[in-house]
Amino acid sequence: MAEEKKGRAVATSAAASVPKFVRGNMQATLRAKEEGKKVAAAYIADGQDEIFRAMDIVPAWGESFSGVCAAKRDAEKYLQKAESDNFSRSLCTYATCEIGFDMMREELGGAMPEGAPWGGIARPDMMIGNGQLLCDPRFKWPQATQHYQRDVPVFVNNMYYPPWDPNGDHHEVEALYVKYCTEELRELVKFCEKICGKKMDWDRLAATVELSDKTWDLFIDTYALRKHIPTPMDTGDAMNTMVPLTFNLATQEAYDFYVALKAEIEQKIADGFAVANPEKYRVIWAAGLPSWFALGDFQYFNSKGVVFPVEVTYRGCEKIELLDLPKTNDPLEHIAWRWVRYWTHWYDAAKKRPGSTPKVERIIEYIEDYKCDGVVFHSAFSCRSWHAGIMQQAATLKKVYKDIPILIMEGDIVDISSYNEADTHNRIDAFIETLAAYKTRQG
Amino acid sequence: MEYFAGVDIGSTMTKVVIMGDKMEASLIGPTGPEHRKLANRVMEEALQQARLSFDDLTYIVATGYGRINVPFADRQITEITCHAKGLQSLLPSVKTVIDVGGQDSKGIKILNGKVMNFVMNDKCAAGTGRFLEIIADSLGVPLDKIGEISLTAEKIAAVSSTCTVFAEAEIISRLATGEPVANLLAGIHDAVATRIAALVRKLNVEPDIAVTGGGAKNIGLVKALGSKFGRELLVPPEPLITGALGAALMGKDIYIKYASEGLKPSRSGNKLEEATFFK
Repeated sequence: MAEEKKGRAVATSAAASVPKFVRGNMQATLRAKEEGKKVAAAYIADGQDEIFRAMDIVPAWGESFSGVCAAKRDAEKYLQKAESDNFSRSLCTYATCEIGFDMMREELGGAMPEGAPWGGIARPDMMIGNGQLLCDPRFKWPQATQHYQRDVPVFVNNMYYPPWDPNGDHHEVEALYVKYCTEELRELVKFCEKICGKKMDWDRLAATVELSDKTWDLFIDTYALRKHIPTPMDTGDAMNTMVPLTFNLATQEAYDFYVALKAEIEQKIADGFAVANPEKYRVIWAAGLPSWFALGDFQYFNSKGVVFPVEVTYRGCEKIELLDLPKTNDPLEHIAWRWVRYWTHWYDAAKKRPGSTPKVERIIEYIEDYKCDGVVFHSAFSCRSWHAGIMQQAATLKKVYKDIPILIMEGDIVDISSYNEADTHNRIDAFIETLAAYKTRQG
Repeated sequence: MEYFAGVDIGSTMTKVVIMGDKMEASLIGPTGPEHRKLANRVMEEALQQARLSFDDLTYIVATGYGRINVPFADRQITEITCHAKGLQSLLPSVKTVIDVGGQDSKGIKILNGKVMNFVMNDKCAAGTGRFLEIIADSLGVPLDKIGEISLTAEKIAAVSSTCTVFAEAEIISRLATGEPVANLLAGIHDAVATRIAALVRKLNVEPDIAVTGGGAKNIGLVKALGSKFGRELLVPPEPLITGALGAALMGKDIYIKYASEGLKPSRSGNKLEEATFFK
């Protein structure tokens, strides 16, 4: 029996309600099988959400399942199962955890493995991968797990955006990328129509896209409240409150969640609530997925007067008007423009600061807006494609911006064997002492 | 006279320094599983050396990874900050500190005795004193001799394994093929220095560079590290006590800051009594 860590306390009641949200998403996949709905093995942040929702396809989120296993400290059996078939420990542990679970479920003829966290997720009717610049495993992950579920069709949707080139002009090629993404999404629709045996309702798709846009705006407006000093909500909570945006985009319940969260934060500010009292230092979670089994570390920061009013991670949206999206009547083209511009809208700012990059520019923007004194990165060893550039980001930030204190934490998203609480807290303590010295120098 | 004590509970050694106007006592003892008991014992001996009683101490700061297990300490401060403070008092020109401890290694950038930035390796034994300890044991060479012997090598025997366990196996097999011990030790020191240098280069390394911790007592490692940075590295007279010295000086700073406002810092109130996890 795996040790289940006591849940961390959260500052907002909205965040406290998120586990029910996550469990609801997992149970929806099981209910879908009873109701005759189609289940898609799906992966987050790739522009496919509206298509699923408009076609009543229930997503079975691979990353969410593995994250739950990690948070419950119950991932090891699945990691070991995948490892037994030579999946390396250095692969993405979201993928290996979920693949191990799939392997077990297939050995049981599709029945749920005993003790699957929160009832597990259902066997999919289709698997929708995604090749894009953020994360490479989602290209191969569905193909790898198809080896164990040979009757389940796979579609890999490619959503690329112009890569950063300080010497090039991305505006010249943007439309080409949008056209490519739009066609990819159109092929995805055809694939889903074939599996579901029904046609896309294009008006319904347009309505879900509009709902997503509204949710993006509301999310940013809500999170902007965290600029308040002292901050009423920090990243420890945001690692929960990102769930509706990330896993339930294009649903009314996601929108309603942020309506409630915004009202709650406004009330907390009115009541003078503070995550840390006194709030001594404000720091940004600048990159990296968290160790889901060690979210309590945010409380450790808080207990020492350190708060995270902002994070880059899971802030997967932007104010729509800021993206200046061209008008189109094609909802798929709108999704494609929104996708491409989300990634490229820091490119121009980065060009204005010699030596900077879009990712660094984004961090600088947040440091300024949220009045941060320091920067924390988490380098998760198995999440290679995203985390590989963290050291470069840290060095660039110091070079082009200022010599701000930076902490690089090391661990993993799922694999607890990478984690040592005492050493982690020791690093945090040393970082806080560095923050103190920095603030003294700043006067 | 005001006296300040620093207690550094490292992974392998416990160090105590007592400061008055000058260093009144410094003591080093092995860290065992019973940190509290050992801290008491080393502190008692240091007090004897300084001809002081516990009540003579004005303020006590504990540091090192076992700092929370020093009940009689008034404050806990990380070894990163204490090393910076201690080093600055000994070698004021130093801007980069490399601390090679028993179970971790660190790089620290300092400015006027304050920490600007730091990096740590606490994930892997390779690149720490523990790696050298294991290899010394495998080769049957006393730990305090491996550095000197490595400097007599005719060539550096390349050690390809970066994992401590596999490196040990590689060393044993290379020994069987007749590779001289000195060459193997030179290879091992070069491998450790390479790993530490890769870690420390994550900082914007600026000279002077100093080495502290147990690793600084190994001349072979200090030379190997120097070759990685293309310069001679500085070593304080007793590199093991830098953290404890820094802790004592931090205690003095805290006391002076309070005194300047007509106040006294709060004390833990705990006495120097034997305590153990096993009672």
